[in-house]
Amino acid sequence: MKRNTFFIFAGIVALLEVGILWISIEMNNPLPIQVGFVIGIVLVYAARRMVADVIQDERTVLISQKSALRTLEVFWVIFFLLSIGGVIYGFNRPFPVRPHLPAPPAEPPIGLFGIFGFIQLALLCLMIFLYVGFRIYYARQYGEFEKDEE
Amino acid sequence: MKNKIKVYRAMHDLTQDQLATKLNVTRQTILAIEKGKYDPSLDLAFKIARYFRVSIEEIFTYEVRKE
Repeated sequence: MKRNTFFIFAGIVALLEVGILWISIEMNNPLPIQVGFVIGIVLVYAARRMVADVIQDERTVLISQKSALRTLEVFWVIFFLLSIGGVIYGFNRPFPVRPHLPAPPAEPPIGLFGIFGFIQLALLCLMIFLYVGFRIYYARQYGEFEKDEE
Repeated sequence: MKNKIKVYRAMHDLTQDQLATKLNVTRQTILAIEKGKYDPSLDLAFKIARYFRVSIEEIFTYEVRKE
């Protein structure tokens, strides 16, 4: 498989995932997108192994490693700030520190799970943006966008 | 680190793409090494030297990078 064919294939898989997400929302059932996402990831990784062109070497691995490390260094701080904020709200009770828990509701409010999911997705998006940003920075540093003189 | 890959490539009438294929790396890596943007690992440096049948010092010259 050619490199560009792989990118087109990955794009098609991503579009299908969006479709499956829409079906999941319509069905009010997370299972299709959860299963579809795993299958999609497996398909993309399998297709990547079939690429005949060299798409990864020591320089690209170095770029990936540095980007991942910087992403982790920045992301854990943001994640900590958000999490500690949640903890402070949760424990915002008079002394003693242990909160006076109210009786649990008969059923957990569904909206809460939705908000939790959105926050998780927003954090995931932030992580991806950070990674892409650092990747562009290091790719530039290691000559990815240099002009060809041939 | 300075290198003479471009010179040796010209002597062997090789394109960046052809050399990259022989060394199993991407063309951008060869370009980045030639431009001094990336210093190859010892493994890749030896591969390059062996491919051109010269010593590693003949192709690569170490100089302290100015920060």
